[in-house]
Amino acid sequence: MSERNEYANKEVGLIDVLDVVLDKGVAIKGDLILSIAGIDLVYLDLRVLIASVETLIESNKETAAQLSSKQFDREKEELDNVIHQS
Amino acid sequence: MDSLIYLYGVIPTAEKEKQDIPAFKGIDEEHEVYTVSFGEITAVVCNLDEREYGQEQLEKKTNNPTWLHEKAFHHHEVLMSLYAKYPIIPMKFCTIYASMDNLLTTLETHKQRMIEVLESIKGKEEWILKIYCDEDKVKESVASYSDVIELRKEEIAAMSPGRQYLEKKKLGQLIEQEAHKQKQAFGETIHQELADMSANTEVKRNWNKDVTGRKEEMCWNSVYMLEKPKVDDFLKRVKAIQNEHGDDGWKLEVTGPWPSYHFSAIS
Repeated sequence: MSERNEYANKEVGLIDVLDVVLDKGVAIKGDLILSIAGIDLVYLDLRVLIASVETLIESNKETAAQLSSKQFDREKEELDNVIHQS
Repeated sequence: MDSLIYLYGVIPTAEKEKQDIPAFKGIDEEHEVYTVSFGEITAVVCNLDEREYGQEQLEKKTNNPTWLHEKAFHHHEVLMSLYAKYPIIPMKFCTIYASMDNLLTTLETHKQRMIEVLESIKGKEEWILKIYCDEDKVKESVASYSDVIELRKEEIAAMSPGRQYLEKKKLGQLIEQEAHKQKQAFGETIHQELADMSANTEVKRNWNKDVTGRKEEMCWNSVYMLEKPKVDDFLKRVKAIQNEHGDDGWKLEVTGPWPSYHFSAIS
């Protein structure tokens, strides 16, 4: 068996496909009525990044909220203790 | 009102006359794919409804990752099935013309160049090499073989704990830089060797992990236009390099043959 049979027609991943059909491929400038600038991979890249940053901020917010309410409960409890003692 | 025209690619009319294109549905899964001949060249197209694929609608669609995934593969599969039968100039995903007139004007303008391109890609194949690496392994190897780093480690060990902290951080950055150089050098050396076997090459961008969705880092991405008889040697060489360096955390991935996406520039 030749080497090529081992490699040719192997299943390719999404990144392999996008890497050619979006990043490259012939685009005849000036004659296209519709632009597809909106799906530049770089843009796609940024979008995924932004989405993950947003998730991070959201989860941090949640953690922060939990912390502060716990903190509040504990302070309240301590205050209650002090009041009952007196 | 005229339909929009989705252009998949351009093939030689003489080849098309020998065997017709296979029947399949276009990108909207509704309209049939058909051909339009213009002298020596033939465009493979499908009609699209303007209400569904106008500028605004198209932008909305492309913002949907599921749509993008599915349709990019559709474009790829159509191109691969055509490429199996004809020399082809592959168009970029979502190359859409406002009308048939518009497409014909374009073909007329670029006909000569397209004939030349179809001639030049005959008997050649496009293959893509992506190198991925295990970053930790590269850093480990950089840290172990570099004398500068070894010496610095010894110096740091003799410092006060406070200074050690800062200096270790700096050393970490130095290792990072060295690892980056190492990755670049690894790719360049291999590329040079493979380029010598190729009719044409291009070094592409590396995509970060957010795009690739992999845990290894892409550290090299390049494409080679090879005369068909040289493909076997090319692949053998890649395999040999992989066997030699696989244990050090390098992974060479070759895909192909692709329609000539990179070496069919028209304008």
